[in-house]
Order: sequence, then C-alpha cells, then structure tokens
Amino acid sequence: MNANKTGSRWQGLHLEPLWWGLFSAGGVCFAVFIPAVVLIFGIMAPLGIIDISYQQVRGYYASIWGLMFTGAVICLPAFHAAHRIRHGLHDVKLGGGLVSIIICYGLAATLSATTLAAWYLLR
Amino acid sequence: MAANKGMQQALVRVKRYLPEEQQKTQSEPFWQEFTVPFDESTSVLDALNFIKEELDPSLSFRWSCRMAICGSCGFMLNGIPKLGCKEFLRNYSVRTSPAQKNTATNTSITASLTVEPLAHFTVERDLIVNMDEFLIHLEAVKPYLIAETSTQKQLQPSLQTPAQLAKYKQFANCINCGLCYSACPQFCLNPEFLGPAAIALAQRYNLDSRDTGKAVRMPMLNSHNGVWSCTFVGFCSDVCPKQVDPAAAVNQGKVESAKSMLIQMFKGSTAHEL
Ligand code: SF4
Ligand code: FES
Repeated sequence: MNANKTGSRWQGLHLEPLWWGLFSAGGVCFAVFIPAVVLIFGIMAPLGIIDISYQQVRGYYASIWGLMFTGAVICLPAFHAAHRIRHGLHDVKLGGGLVSIIICYGLAATLSATTLAAWYLLR
Repeated sequence: MAANKGMQQALVRVKRYLPEEQQKTQSEPFWQEFTVPFDESTSVLDALNFIKEELDPSLSFRWSCRMAICGSCGFMLNGIPKLGCKEFLRNYSVRTSPAQKNTATNTSITASLTVEPLAHFTVERDLIVNMDEFLIHLEAVKPYLIAETSTQKQLQPSLQTPAQLAKYKQFANCINCGLCYSACPQFCLNPEFLGPAAIALAQRYNLDSRDTGKAVRMPMLNSHNGVWSCTFVGFCSDVCPKQVDPAAAVNQGKVESAKSMLIQMFKGSTAHEL
C-alpha cells in the first residue's frame, strides 16, 4: 500500500484485536485472581482455616466489589478461555471461521451476561 | 576429515529426495543411513560434508559460513529446526551397552541423529528447500529505512543514541535462516501468514528512530495474515539461533496493531502518524 493512498475508516479492520484484548485481560485475571479465589473459597474456607460467613460474603457481593469480582473472576477469564479454545480448535483444524467464533465467544458472552444479571438481581 | 582411529562413530539418517531420478523408488523421498566418524568438534554440517566428500557425492545441502552467520544451513535435526553448523554430533549421543563400550572399536555407534529438510517449505532436492516462500514475506514488510528524502535531510548525518539503538537492536540480529518458519504451526497451516521473522523485521524498522515508514507497514501487520494469525505458540523464539525472540516482536506487533486500528477508527483514515 502506498502511503499517499489513504483508505477509509473501516478498511481492513476486524474484531481480532478486541478478542485478543479480552484474552489478555482475562489472562492477567486468570493468573492473579483465580488462584487466590481457589485458595480462599476452595481450600481455606472449607477446611475451616479461615472463617467466612455466608452473610458476610453476600454483603460484599452486593456492593461494587461483587461486580468487580464477577468481571475479574468470571467474565474476563471466560473470554480468555474462549479465545484459547477457538485457536486450539483452529490448530487441530476443527470448526474454524465464523462457527467457532460464534460458539466460543457466544458461550463466554452468555456466561458473562448471566453472572452480571445475577449480580444485578442479588444486589 | 578422515576416519581417524579413536574417533567415535555416529549413525546419520538423511532424508533424500532426488526428483530427477527415473526410478520411482528414488523419485520419492527416502531415508539413507551413513556412518560418520566424529569427535568433540564435529558439527552436523561437518558430518554432511564428510558424507558428500567420502560417501555419497550426490547429497545436496546449502551452507556457506559454517559459523551461524549466513543462515543457509537450516535443517530439521531429530525433528527440531536447527543450524547444522551450530549443532554438534556429540550432543546426539546414544547409550552404548557396556559390552560395546569395553571393546571400544571404531564401529560402535555412540551418536545418532536424523537430518531432514526444513519443515513447512517445498523441498527442491535432498536438504534444499525453496527459500523464496520465506523471502517474499520478508520483502513484503518493506525491510529498509523509509525516511525523509529531501536532499537537505539526506546530507545530514542520522544521529541515534545508544538507547534508541537498543530499542530495535535485538530484532536486527536476524540472519534469515527460516528456522522460525519451520517451527511455526501457523505458517504450516497458512503459508500466507507473514510469519515470525518478517514481523520481527517490521518491528525492527518500526522501532528505528530514523525510520518514518510505520504507517506504510501497519496495514500489512493489521491484516489477518499479519500479526493476528499468531496463536502464541512461542516455539519460534525457542529455535531462533540468534535470540531474536520473534515471538516478542509479534506480541509487540499485536499491541501496535490494536493501537493502529483504534486510531484509524477514530481518525477515519488509514494514513496517520503513529
Ligand atoms: S528470527 Fe531467528 S529463527 Fe527466525 S529467521 Fe531470524 S534468525 Fe532465523
Ligand atoms: S553455514 Fe552459515 S549459518 Fe550455518
């Protein structure tokens, strides 16, 4: 392409950077928050090492912290996983193209929408 | 290199392909085994040269500098893309049974490896692949300084601080060996993918303070066959003999591409200063 020839606003644009952005953000959340969540809610609480009551957690969840928790522990990691699975399918020549885009990100979007709605309703 | 006494013996299996042979059995790829003497300092390229000089002059392969500079001796060694001149037979030793060791005859095999042409490229003959398939991608990213052309400016020296040099120096170390393309599963699936070395080269010029060609290179990097075909496998950086780390260049390229596309969306045209 010649530098003097300018393309229009949408020329050559596609959604890949968006999926990649969600993937990157989700990757950070996966690495930073999920191990902590598993440690606290999956190991320490059931073993009685720390004491958290349902009411306490429910109280936090209803605040803005609950929304942030949902985004960082469910929504973004879901898009991270969806991106990985989509590219994994491409690598083994399964699905590919629009079908896997719709299935993978569609599932992540549905999960995100459901959990965000749950937060809104339980607020 | 003569078969000196006391030297160890290596079994070298070479993938041959002689398309000009009339016999059907030979016009298809086949394996050929050679026993090659070696010591601590015998490189895989030395072994191939021994085969060509002493055992079978019909073996074809490329080489030139024999010191990891020219990038022409890339082969698949035991399935991994490597430079023949940078790898040594001593690293491919096989365990010999105690009985074999005790006799220590010249015929006991102490190393073994397979040599194949670089993967993902069209094989022309034996270990020679069509490198044009790689070079067209390098050319595509306009790998040269695109700078102000006014004579006034041309007469001025182009100053660059050590810090400005450091930004792109690593990516300038590429010797165009193509190993990263043989390592890349995405290049295998889609030969139109620009690929690791070409993207590293684009970054090398985009990061150069003397260059103003970024806006010209971005549309290519932005496309599906540009940075976005990469699925973060990272094997390219593992096999690179010059520690160029092309995977890092691709990741930087993704950030740059995302920025460039956002700017294009808001500015409403593809020509913009970045
Ligand atoms: S980036 Fe490394 S592996 Fe790829 S062509 Fe350049 S030197 Fe070879
Ligand atoms: S012969 Fe030049 S890189 Fe190996």
